[in-house]
Amino acid sequence: MTRDQLKDYIGSKYASLMTPLDTGRFDPMFEVKADRLFEVSRALRDDENLKLDFLCNMHATDTRENFEIVYSIASITTKLRLDFKIVMPYQNAEIDSVQEVWPAANWYEREMWELFGINVKNHGNLKRFLLPDDWNQGHPMRKDWDAPDFVRMPEIQ
Amino acid sequence: MGLIKKLPYYSEKIPGGAIVLTSLEATLQFAQAKSLWYLLFGTACCAIELMCTGASRYDFDRLGMIFRASPRQSDLILAAGTITKKMAPRLRRLYDQMAEPRYVIAMGGCTVKGGPFYYDSYAVEKGIDHIVPVDIYIPGCPPRPESLMEGCLHLSEKIRRQKLSDWQEK
Amino acid sequence: MSAVRTEEFMVNMGPHHPSTHGVCRLLLTMDGEKVIKIEPYIGYLHRSIEKICENRTYHQCIPILDRFEYVTAMSCNYVFSLAAEKLAQIEVPERAEYLRVIMLELNRIASHLIFFGTTAMDLGALTPFLYALREREYIMDLFEMTCGQRLTYNYIRIGGVSRDIPAEFVPKCREAIKIIDQKVDEYMALLNGNPIWQKRTIGVGYLSPELAVAYGVSGPILRASGVDFDIRRDDPYSIYDRFDFEIPVRPNGDVFDRYMLRLDEIKQSVRIISQALDGLPEGEIKAKVPLKFKPPAGEVYSRIENSRGEMGVYILSDGTEKPVRVKTRGGSYNHLQVLPEFATDILIADLVAIFASFDIIMPEVDR
Repeated sequence: MTRDQLKDYIGSKYASLMTPLDTGRFDPMFEVKADRLFEVSRALRDDENLKLDFLCNMHATDTRENFEIVYSIASITTKLRLDFKIVMPYQNAEIDSVQEVWPAANWYEREMWELFGINVKNHGNLKRFLLPDDWNQGHPMRKDWDAPDFVRMPEIQ
Repeated sequence: MGLIKKLPYYSEKIPGGAIVLTSLEATLQFAQAKSLWYLLFGTACCAIELMCTGASRYDFDRLGMIFRASPRQSDLILAAGTITKKMAPRLRRLYDQMAEPRYVIAMGGCTVKGGPFYYDSYAVEKGIDHIVPVDIYIPGCPPRPESLMEGCLHLSEKIRRQKLSDWQEK
Repeated sequence: MSAVRTEEFMVNMGPHHPSTHGVCRLLLTMDGEKVIKIEPYIGYLHRSIEKICENRTYHQCIPILDRFEYVTAMSCNYVFSLAAEKLAQIEVPERAEYLRVIMLELNRIASHLIFFGTTAMDLGALTPFLYALREREYIMDLFEMTCGQRLTYNYIRIGGVSRDIPAEFVPKCREAIKIIDQKVDEYMALLNGNPIWQKRTIGVGYLSPELAVAYGVSGPILRASGVDFDIRRDDPYSIYDRFDFEIPVRPNGDVFDRYMLRLDEIKQSVRIISQALDGLPEGEIKAKVPLKFKPPAGEVYSRIENSRGEMGVYILSDGTEKPVRVKTRGGSYNHLQVLPEFATDILIADLVAIFASFDIIMPEVDR
């Protein structure tokens, strides 16, 4: 399956779940509603023609207006690759855990919780692990994050 | 080795020649400076250069520097690599576990002053001299094995210049 | 023996432990000599590389990403450049592509040699460490000749490479890979027949292919579990499709296979380098990329096959000089996640062997 075929396939089969985004010549990118996340991930993994069983990467982005959570997934057998993203408001950001589908998501979700403050439902092990144990200065990867001893890079013209 | 074998031959001709008279200070300094066993405290990139220095081509052992895994057996911490705020208490604890006299070499830019890249990092400790007293700073990112060896030679020089009274008071 | 009443106790391994290759801390729950639970604690080298990259221009990100995975710093440079080139749709000159492949493969060999040395040292053999680092110095000389640094190169830039190779590079490189190719056979002869080595590696630490794929394990560890997947072949980047090389795969998934697979990979890398040296064309080494590099708004995930599995970089650009988000993905992050799954009746000495065979490098985990 080529990239365009993959786009058409998902467009026809999962039209109600995933909206294609225009990303030019890169790997296909879709948008998924936050409440359908678990359903979509399970369908993508179990689909006989896709078999997207390998979670490459997963991360959150703070775009100053909202959070974007991007899942980059691939397949070992069919060699396909695609990305999908969830856009959610800044306040009370919360996603479902996809550990049941891809166990690799465990630490990625934990990191997201720690550095961005995005709550993960049904995770089971949301513990601090990258920052020091006595850290009490909030979520440092947010764009508006600041701390008393944090030095910013001066702007150079 | 030839000199050591010949030494008794010459010295025993002198009356009382089997005894060499020197000060306690000089003996201690000689012994310390020539056999510095180091605690490998490698955290990041510099640790790989430290490994290279210890291995075949650069052969750290010929300076009397032998790698130890335990702080209680070592005279020197070679802090190689970035020390983060999370790691800093561990470094202090290892330093406290060492027996006097103890020395610290800060290897690489990160341990000297927080590194060339981590200026606006929230997690990196800006220089290990906030945590432990440092004797020798070796800049570089990472420093070459040659500069590490030169730093160690400087440390031996420093030890040889030390008075016995200096480290008693510490 | 079952009549003996035992009691569980905890052992703290790390963060400063010679066999953890960095600053990983493992909290082990033990029952006698058996490990029944492993809990990794990370973050002792969390330097916030991703946050720093958000405040730098694209060109300034490359030397920082050198420190993301310093054992194969070339591939960090490369994966970021690849993502930026995809964003801005830059065509890289032919000669630069060849030089990149040569450097990437040389760096893969250097990394596998470090693996070979340190793994053997963790299992109690000091000699292989001295041998491996002796051969690694040939590669370090080549890198130093090219870009002036031994470890953190900053050589592969957006649009090409920073400078051309000197005239004596090609003969010296041929000589070096010839020596390394011979020495790999010597390494195998040194260790493979050794009964202590066999007892400590064969059948130890079995990782099933299903578990490996589920946890996102990639690279040599995945292939040692019998899964035939290599990004160089299955999702080709650069000019890897022009070379003739094999992807070694081994079925058993134990420590011995992981070790053997890496030695096999060194031999394949040697093949790729010698083909690339033969085909090295003349010409430009860098495309015209402005100093104020502003890629169009968009997002891209690029991934390559590193010596530790899949290495990826995700860039989100809004059309300005600085990226909005740079996310780095290293293979070790997933490899360390799978480690707790091994805590079924293994001895603590086997844990050291398994950990060493994973070749985890901590900055990739903590970033």
